[in-house]
Amino acid sequence: MARHTEKAPGDAELLQGTLDMLILKVAALRPIHGYAIVQRIQQISREALQIRQGSLYPALYRLENQGLLKSDWGKTETGREAKYYSLTKAGRKHFEAETAGWKRLCDAVSLVLESAE
Amino acid sequence: MFKRRNWEARMNKELEFHLESLIADYKAQGLTQAQAEQQARLDFGAMELAKDECRDQKPANWLDNLTRDIRYTARTLSRNPGFAIAAILTFALGIGANTAIFSVVYAALIKPLPYAIPDQIYSAEVALPERPSMPVPVQAFLEWRKSETVFSAIAALRPWECSLSGDGEPERLGGAKVSTNFFSFLGVPVARGRDFAAAEEQPGNDRVIVISDALWRRRYGAGPAVIGKSIDINGESHQIIGVAAPSLLVPTGTLLNPILAFAPRVDIWKPIAPTSRDLQNESWDHGIFVRLRPDARLEQGRQQFQSILTAFYRTVAPGASITFKINLLPVREVYAGKLRLRLLFVLAAAALLLLTACTNIANLFLARLASRSTEFATRVALGAGRARLLSQTLTETTVLALAGAAFGIILATNSAALLSKLAGEDLQLLAAPPLNLPALLFALFAAVVTGVACGLFPALHTPNMQDSARITGTSTRFRQVLIGVEMALGTALLATTGLLIHSFVKVINADRGYQIERILSVDLSLFGPRYGPAASRVAFYRDATDNLRAIPGITAAGAISDSPAANSSSGASRTIFHPTDTDFQHTVFMRPVAMVRAVTSGYFAASGTALRAGRHFESQEPAPTALISESLARNLWPNEPLPSVIGRGIRQGNVTGPVITIAGVVEDVRPGAADRESPPVIYRPHSQWASGPATLFIRTAQDPATLAPAVREAIRGMDANLPIPAIRTMREIVLESVSQRRFQLILTSLFALLALLLGAIGVYGVVSYSVECRTREIGLRMALGAMRADILRWIISTGMKPVFIGLTVGLAAAIVMARLLRSQLFGVTPTDPISLGAVVLVLLATSTLACYLPARRAARLDPLTALRH
Repeated sequence: MARHTEKAPGDAELLQGTLDMLILKVAALRPIHGYAIVQRIQQISREALQIRQGSLYPALYRLENQGLLKSDWGKTETGREAKYYSLTKAGRKHFEAETAGWKRLCDAVSLVLESAE
Repeated sequence: MFKRRNWEARMNKELEFHLESLIADYKAQGLTQAQAEQQARLDFGAMELAKDECRDQKPANWLDNLTRDIRYTARTLSRNPGFAIAAILTFALGIGANTAIFSVVYAALIKPLPYAIPDQIYSAEVALPERPSMPVPVQAFLEWRKSETVFSAIAALRPWECSLSGDGEPERLGGAKVSTNFFSFLGVPVARGRDFAAAEEQPGNDRVIVISDALWRRRYGAGPAVIGKSIDINGESHQIIGVAAPSLLVPTGTLLNPILAFAPRVDIWKPIAPTSRDLQNESWDHGIFVRLRPDARLEQGRQQFQSILTAFYRTVAPGASITFKINLLPVREVYAGKLRLRLLFVLAAAALLLLTACTNIANLFLARLASRSTEFATRVALGAGRARLLSQTLTETTVLALAGAAFGIILATNSAALLSKLAGEDLQLLAAPPLNLPALLFALFAAVVTGVACGLFPALHTPNMQDSARITGTSTRFRQVLIGVEMALGTALLATTGLLIHSFVKVINADRGYQIERILSVDLSLFGPRYGPAASRVAFYRDATDNLRAIPGITAAGAISDSPAANSSSGASRTIFHPTDTDFQHTVFMRPVAMVRAVTSGYFAASGTALRAGRHFESQEPAPTALISESLARNLWPNEPLPSVIGRGIRQGNVTGPVITIAGVVEDVRPGAADRESPPVIYRPHSQWASGPATLFIRTAQDPATLAPAVREAIRGMDANLPIPAIRTMREIVLESVSQRRFQLILTSLFALLALLLGAIGVYGVVSYSVECRTREIGLRMALGAMRADILRWIISTGMKPVFIGLTVGLAAAIVMARLLRSQLFGVTPTDPISLGAVVLVLLATSTLACYLPARRAARLDPLTALRH
């Protein structure tokens, strides 16, 4: 599942499952196109998370294929045509479950780290 | 494909948009166009890689998979053309045979008959306890027609012999007299000229005829001038008023009723116009068609007809207590009734052949699966899903099956003409098998089903494709099972065929009560004023037979009014009364009906019909005399010895006629199709029953065909106006009369032979393969001292094991099948030792040979080479 890479934490490559979660999080707010998703993720993570932008699209297509995302073509503020992604009902459920699981994992990990200190 | 291009374009557009937005942002941050583009590409990463990854996420399209599988199939097959050709040919044989037969079955049993609303049409006949299927007299037709019933229309028809003369070559044709509404009843209007008018059923107005499209084209060159033309039929002038539609289908032969004999082709129709004399006599010789009203019940109509006929008969014969039963048969039964079983039998044989072909192909696939086990195992290891492998195998078999079906259809189209030639006259009317759409659909369906079955079977049986050794092991065992199945199918088919062949031989060689070897036969019919006086007809046949006997090479000649070889009788039949019977109406249905056959004095010498008691006719018989058949004698005087019958009296047709003295009893005769009943017959001297039509029996000392021209010459010399149809040998006539049986036999034999061939190929393939796999083992055995003969015996006995099992199962199945089809057999039991024994021998010989060839190869192996294998 996870690719083991030895990289500096600031330049962290995303674990595959993590990218999916971030996409779902960003798309949960409102319909959003691919470029904006990248912008948002980098903005929220204060540029700490670097995405190889090209790898976003396979993830988007996969999520759409799994029925977690749906897409529509729409116009941007500048009047260009772009593909907007939004969460399906299943996507929302999946996101909630994943978030809860992530939280539990994080809590557990920090518990271990803190007690070890 | 269009969808796919669309999808690709949208993906490009989306990625393009991303890149452009990125560039725009960098430019907004102050970078130059070139710098911005470079930075954007860096951020985005490899564009083509991203696209490929996106494509991988695209939902799997069955069409894409299929295209990929088909491409893969084409590749693998082209690498192994021998296998592909073998499989396609096998499929082509199986599917082609089934398609051809199906197209005949469709034409005969399924396709709607060419009438207006054919489902409403029924044939009506009378059933009495001792006469289950009788035509009706014209009076019954008239009574039924004038009564109010659930039938919206009623039509009548009866056979009518026609001799055409006056314009060109005299000719004898099949005709029918029909009620004037006949063509409108069927809903098939005449193509040219006009239909009959109702007034033309009045005697005197009835000299009008409608001719068939075939006759119009053949004899009158399809000219328009034929309408209104007068032609001579049976010496009387008739006007042609119309030409029937080319598609008109009418009952021929004895299709309508076993007692009503129409000609094999009907070319002339004339109105039934009963004279007052006709209305006084009862002649039970009309076939009846009725059309049921759409919402009416058939049973109600049956009862209406029954009570009308019974009531009418009471008025004719007060006091007679006869209750008539009416049978109503759907018109389809008229055409298909006798054929159905034979056709379905042939179809079943074809299906068995297809099954054998499938088994063989499954076998081929297993062999290939085994030889490709390494490839499959590798692919599974590399992550190919089982479902994908299965779908690939299925695609492969289905592609092969479809290719086979294409060849099969070509095969079926080419054999269609052959099939209709093989089929008897009865079948020819129905079978129009330039391949029809339903047959094509059938071929397609058969291809897909067999393709899937052939692929699914072996694929499912190799549960674990990862283990190549196991694939080889299971497939060898499974292939032996398949050989057993194939052998069982082949045996069943072959054994049934054996029974049919033996039946056929028995039918041909059956004792018919007349000779069929070295006999020529020709049907003549005297007509016209020249033959008005009975004495002239008597003189003609007497002189004709005398003249023929004078031809060198002819040893005997005689004439009979109605050929005993005909499967039906067109001649007269009469009720035979005891001289003590006085009340016609009370006794008529209790006495036997016999065919009346007039013979010249030389007839029995020519036909070879044996005398059981008494004497033959002399050349002069002054007093009313008869010879009767054995069955008639037993019917009239049960339990009395035949010699005691001689000298007794009977009356023929009437209780008031002259008493006829029985001079002798002769053996029963069977029609050409010897599996039909022998009718009771009363023979009269031609001088006392001077019929116009007669069949000449001419016995020859040499090959009869060489004498035909001399016979024709002799007859022509006596009357140039007399139509002389083909002069044929009795053997030909008998063969023709069993044409349905022959049709069934030839096709079934062909299928059985093919099945045998496929079976032998299957055995050969499996044994060769196992020899190849066991080369090292064979080498070892030889090195340890096994003799070549031992190796031979060992391989043959291993190879024959599934054959024996299949043979046993197949024989049992064949006996069960034969029991179900007992009516198709003649003179043999379902367990007939001769047929079954011969089949077992043939099968054993073939499969032993199929085992022997690879076994011999094994025995010739050099042990050292084999060990190094």
